[in-house]
Amino acid sequence: MSNNINYWKGEDELSKSKSFVSAQKNEFHDDLPLDEIFNEESIELKANRRDFLKYFGFSVTAVALAACYKTKIRNAIPYLVEPEASVSGVANYFRSTCGACSSSCGIEVKVREGRPIKVDGSVDSPISQGGTCSVGQASILSLYDNERLANPLVNGSEQKEWALIDATVLTQLNALKSSNSKIVLLSGSIHSPSTLKSIEKFTSAFPSLEHVSYDAISYSGILDANETDFGQRVIPTYKFGEAKVIVSFAADFLGTWISPVEYSKGYTQHRQPGVKGGMSKHIQFESSLSMTGANADHRFPMRVSQEALYVASLYNYIAIANGTKQIPIPSQGELAGNAIKKTAEVLLKSQGKSIVISGSNETEIQQIINGINMLLGNYATAIDLANHSNQFKGSDKKTAEVLKGLNNGAIGGIIFYGVNPVYNHNGKEWAAGIKKAKLSISFSSSQDETAALCNFVCPDNHYLESWNDAEPRKGVYHFTQPTISNVFNTRQAQISMLTWSNALVVPEKDPFASKAILSQKFHASAFYNFMRDNWAKVLISNESFNAALEKGVLLEEPLVGIPAYEGKVDGFASYVLANSKVSGIEMILYQPVGVRDGAHGNNPWLHENPDPVSKVSWDNYIALPKSLAVALEISEGDTVNVTLGKLVYAGVPTIIQPGQANNTISMALGYGRTHAGKVGGSIDKGYNSIGVNGFAFVNNTGNRNFVIKNVEITKSDDTYNLAQTQTHHTIEGRDIIRESSFEAWKKSPNAGNDKAKTHVYTIWEKPEYRKDGAPNHLWAMAIDLNSCTGCGSCVVSCSIENNVPIVGREQVLLRREMHWIRIDRYYAFRSKEGNLTREDEIANQDKKGNHDHWQDVSVLYQPMMCQHCSNAPCETVCPVLATTHSSEGLNQMTYNRCIGTKYCGNNCPYKVRRFNWFRYNDNDAFDFNFNNPLGKMVINPDVTVRTRGVMEKCSFCVQRIQEGKLSAKRQGKSPNQVAVQTACQRACPSNAIVFGDLHNPESEVSKLYKNERGFTVLEELNIQSSVMYMTKIRNNDTI
Amino acid sequence: MIHDSILRDRLVTGDKTSSDVTRDILRPILNNPSKSWKIGFTISVIFLGIFAISLFNTLWNGIGVWNINKSVMWGWDITNFVFWIGIGHAGTLISAVLLLFRQKWRMSINRSAEAMTIFAVVCAAMFPVFHMGRVWVGYWALPLPNAFGSLWVNFNSPLLWDVFAISTYFSVSLLFWYIGLIPDIATIRDKVTSKLGKAMYGFFSMGWTGSTRTWARYELISLILAGLSTPLVLSVHTIVSTDFATSLVPGWHTTIFPPYFVAGAIFSGFGMVASLLVVARKVMNYENYITIGHLDAMCKIIMVTGSIVGIAYLTEFFIAWYSGNEYEQYAFANRAFGPYWWAYWSMMSCNLIAPQVFWFRWARTTPWFIFIMSIVVNVGMWFERFVIIVTSLHRDYLPSSWVMYSGSLTEVGLFLGTFGIFFTFFFLFAKFLPVINMSEIKSIMRNRE
Repeated sequence: MSNNINYWKGEDELSKSKSFVSAQKNEFHDDLPLDEIFNEESIELKANRRDFLKYFGFSVTAVALAACYKTKIRNAIPYLVEPEASVSGVANYFRSTCGACSSSCGIEVKVREGRPIKVDGSVDSPISQGGTCSVGQASILSLYDNERLANPLVNGSEQKEWALIDATVLTQLNALKSSNSKIVLLSGSIHSPSTLKSIEKFTSAFPSLEHVSYDAISYSGILDANETDFGQRVIPTYKFGEAKVIVSFAADFLGTWISPVEYSKGYTQHRQPGVKGGMSKHIQFESSLSMTGANADHRFPMRVSQEALYVASLYNYIAIANGTKQIPIPSQGELAGNAIKKTAEVLLKSQGKSIVISGSNETEIQQIINGINMLLGNYATAIDLANHSNQFKGSDKKTAEVLKGLNNGAIGGIIFYGVNPVYNHNGKEWAAGIKKAKLSISFSSSQDETAALCNFVCPDNHYLESWNDAEPRKGVYHFTQPTISNVFNTRQAQISMLTWSNALVVPEKDPFASKAILSQKFHASAFYNFMRDNWAKVLISNESFNAALEKGVLLEEPLVGIPAYEGKVDGFASYVLANSKVSGIEMILYQPVGVRDGAHGNNPWLHENPDPVSKVSWDNYIALPKSLAVALEISEGDTVNVTLGKLVYAGVPTIIQPGQANNTISMALGYGRTHAGKVGGSIDKGYNSIGVNGFAFVNNTGNRNFVIKNVEITKSDDTYNLAQTQTHHTIEGRDIIRESSFEAWKKSPNAGNDKAKTHVYTIWEKPEYRKDGAPNHLWAMAIDLNSCTGCGSCVVSCSIENNVPIVGREQVLLRREMHWIRIDRYYAFRSKEGNLTREDEIANQDKKGNHDHWQDVSVLYQPMMCQHCSNAPCETVCPVLATTHSSEGLNQMTYNRCIGTKYCGNNCPYKVRRFNWFRYNDNDAFDFNFNNPLGKMVINPDVTVRTRGVMEKCSFCVQRIQEGKLSAKRQGKSPNQVAVQTACQRACPSNAIVFGDLHNPESEVSKLYKNERGFTVLEELNIQSSVMYMTKIRNNDTI
Repeated sequence: MIHDSILRDRLVTGDKTSSDVTRDILRPILNNPSKSWKIGFTISVIFLGIFAISLFNTLWNGIGVWNINKSVMWGWDITNFVFWIGIGHAGTLISAVLLLFRQKWRMSINRSAEAMTIFAVVCAAMFPVFHMGRVWVGYWALPLPNAFGSLWVNFNSPLLWDVFAISTYFSVSLLFWYIGLIPDIATIRDKVTSKLGKAMYGFFSMGWTGSTRTWARYELISLILAGLSTPLVLSVHTIVSTDFATSLVPGWHTTIFPPYFVAGAIFSGFGMVASLLVVARKVMNYENYITIGHLDAMCKIIMVTGSIVGIAYLTEFFIAWYSGNEYEQYAFANRAFGPYWWAYWSMMSCNLIAPQVFWFRWARTTPWFIFIMSIVVNVGMWFERFVIIVTSLHRDYLPSSWVMYSGSLTEVGLFLGTFGIFFTFFFLFAKFLPVINMSEIKSIMRNRE
């Protein structure tokens, strides 16, 4: 048997006591002290002495450390003597005149604390009519360009004392005068009465001085034609608002031609289908697809070199109908679809209510155009020669004579005023000529190509620092008043000329100057006094002069009458025939909507704003027709060599441009600056030029011709990517933009917009503030696609208003432009099989080997910005509530709260959110205006400058809304009287954008919301956008 | 007498005794590091350096050094995030779900799979953190009481759900892994000779005595954590999928995403486990513990989940067509035939077609082939995320904003760098902790089930 021995651990186990048995069943017999923990009487912090000392010590140290941080001390210094009518934080507005080009639009300058920060159109100006172009908008940045000359230059070195310069210049001028050597003042087109008067003083002081006008983009053709036909070397005033039919032969009158803002304002008057008298018809013949062509009802691709033939044929068709003599050409020229004949028919139906224009610089063509308009009787209505335009006066022939005179020594002194012929004329010869001259002076405000070669550079003021007047149209006077004192040691050119001619009325010495008390009386500019005297006969009292200044405009009674027509066109047959046979490839040089003739080449806003047609920023390029691209085997990113005689441009970037006529190529002027500055390119400072200079191709004998025949083009081995802000160009058949025709609209006003409403369901109740009759504002926008011309003025305006950073080419290539508003541009190709709006349809058509559909393009523009959706997809996905909805229907962005997850940007179906990938201010990688103290003066103090890593987007100009509400409240107005205009709306030269309060039934936007043409984009997502678009109606039913 | 089941193969081969197990598994820990370990570790640290440089560039200059743009605001970053989170799924699945289903074969692989999970989640977390524009205020995404006024987080945002999902997953996984390590750490504590080692392992063994009481608690807590982790396996990737599914981007706005993402995650997780273990069993001589049977089982899972994912791809296509929504239809046609077709077809061939080879036994039992296949699976799964994220964003509603996107050097550097993080951790883990759960493996020395 086994040993049955029981071992026991203790007496308890041996005796099997009750407590031991019960404890043995429970392996974990010690209870956790949970009760103690939870039953503590109070869970308040009970600190003993040691704990108290620990906490105390930590707190004191933490506070002490935090207090050690030394913040930068910034002093806000109050005005000792507050300037009159200047209240800190409140903007003042001054009427003035835009000096960005010689169109001289009336403007309104917004000034904050002595800094002009925004330029907008003046509603009283018959030229701008409240609108501005992108160049005018951006011109404010030129004021704060730190590469402007800070001091005058003598032989390239700075001379701070104007008196010393004046003495030297005067000696040299007098020497030339005594040797009776010719002096030429070469200026741009000047129509300022006071400036002309000061030039007059100058010429009377130096009788050998001749004043010659030169325009980089020449309108000599029109001017000379009118001189021959009407005895007046002027450009007529074109009243596009009066015209029922507009026919343009390659004139980009909405974008760049003569006075685009004025023309846009007129043009848009009859572009809505609902206007009285019906919608106008716009027919465009051109080689390169211009912004104007993009807006045309009918656009016909044409070789511009053959324009004479088509214009003559059009003349003949109309002459046949009118029973007058034709231009004797053997057969009429005709384009595809009998376009010329049909155009003639359309014109004949609207005699006296049409405009025919041509962008050509050939006098003969312009004379035929005059003949056409005369036959149609347009001079009585739509074309006004009595109250003609003064905007351009330049003479190509005289300029060429000056160049010749300089080089053969006939001209001893040359003065450049607002012109840069070394860049935009025959550069080499001008450079040689300037060196031969004994005296060369430039009034350029920067060291441009011409100024760099001159003995003296006497920098002119920026127009925002100047006194001046203008007469852009006969009887229409604009005034310019300074909105800031001189930023640099510059002097108005007029003062320089008056000083040298000893005609300056020196202002009285200020007796209080030593006490630093300044007064207007003694410190008015010398030119102000001169100008005041000049106006003394018209505006006698100071009150009337000040009233004119305040309004910015002085209008004389318009003249009536048509000058006698002495033109004869039947002698042009041989000219027409000589120009009707063409071969080879021709190149069209055109002004781009952004940098125009290149004078604004250092303005980054204009470079960043993409071309309205190609959407390319920061470059010029050769626009090729598809057929030529196929023939040369060129695809995206390839470059070409362009050859004209000895001139070779190698490796020029290309785009394949829909709408480009076969056998033509186009290139923008205004690029390839070598002395613009950091942005545009500067040899001296080591910055590469942007693009290439097209002016080199221009033939400068006779009238400068911007159509270059027989250009050779070959594929180059280099590649180059163009920075486009839009890289997909077809709408893919999507219901994003609705369009219809005028006839269909007449039958039913919701034509094109009659798709069945999408069924959207929601489980949520409408928020209180959205309900009808709610007491709050409900902000919304309406955009008329019929009015929008795609010019991009709104884009620049928005950038300025909202401190949107400029990012440069590299970043645009990475698709990171920061614009809060963009203009989407879509192409549709017309072919026999109907409209091609999808990439694959176009590719299929291409495979057939015929690329004619690429020429026949129709274009849609759609301004796109934050749609302020009521059910905003961006708002729900932000983890930190950085983007929220306001009770006034705004989708708000709280920059301070944003942590930068970018989910909102992904979830935005309109892709309008922009992310700050880098810090765009004070960053040498982005050396634009946000990187220097002077450039920062343009910053709008009402809008935060965003930091790196946060999202931003259109705010519907919330700062303006706030300002409008406050001022209405202060003035005791009812909320319905709050008048707010967003920056894009304010700038728009075609009144396409309307902003307002939907809860105010009287507001324009409320009315537009009831318009049958209204639709919202991506309605089916039920995000309830607050931007209503009006269906695009084209007047293209018949031709 | 104990009888071995004759119906099943042995889970541990080679007639090992308990002391053999301890000796085999502790060999790398108790001895000096091997040459192959040193080489591997060095390479990993180099990649870690690439990560550091790329991250510095990102933080110093801003995320503009990446190539993401106005339309494609998430690119490689979120692709990598979902990729790593997916990989992190196998660990929990193996330890939790297979534990609950009493799949004992899991015991020799669960430790390394769990470690992999934790390291993968660490890698994954890098991206949502550093893709933030202002990472220094990233903590605002946490619902912390603050002095900024009434600021609070947005509980509607799936990104916030992510914060909770991932942090929960990470902490539970870490806890699970650590609890499982305690008995083994205690074993090491008893074996190491160095003072520091004794102290460290002593500390982390938390006074493990091996008493019945501690074992009982250990078993209980393992079961509780397994119960907690199981729903997490499903929830984490479900939440991650809502990052996309709750949006309205065509190609993202899809109700199929949660199950499809979970299946994809398990698929890629097993792919990663397979690649690691095929190498580890060879290099560390663990063929007797991680047997061909294990590889076979994992391959079956890979094949099943791969097919599920494949069906999801096809279903998406069908639904896109069936929905009649032109944006949806375009998004899917664009995936397959648009400019990113190569990414789509890489995904299809790697994830749907390639794993079908595992129908063949040879393919499931040949380690070198499994290794290649596991790499293919992970390449495919990276492309899947790239396809979902980039091809949906690059062409959404308005054609005017259609763009192309390709990663910058910094983005590639960050991605490669996370492999540096992962493998640096993994090599340290293989050196200092037992790669196979000794205590559990000892319980299945004989197939007593």
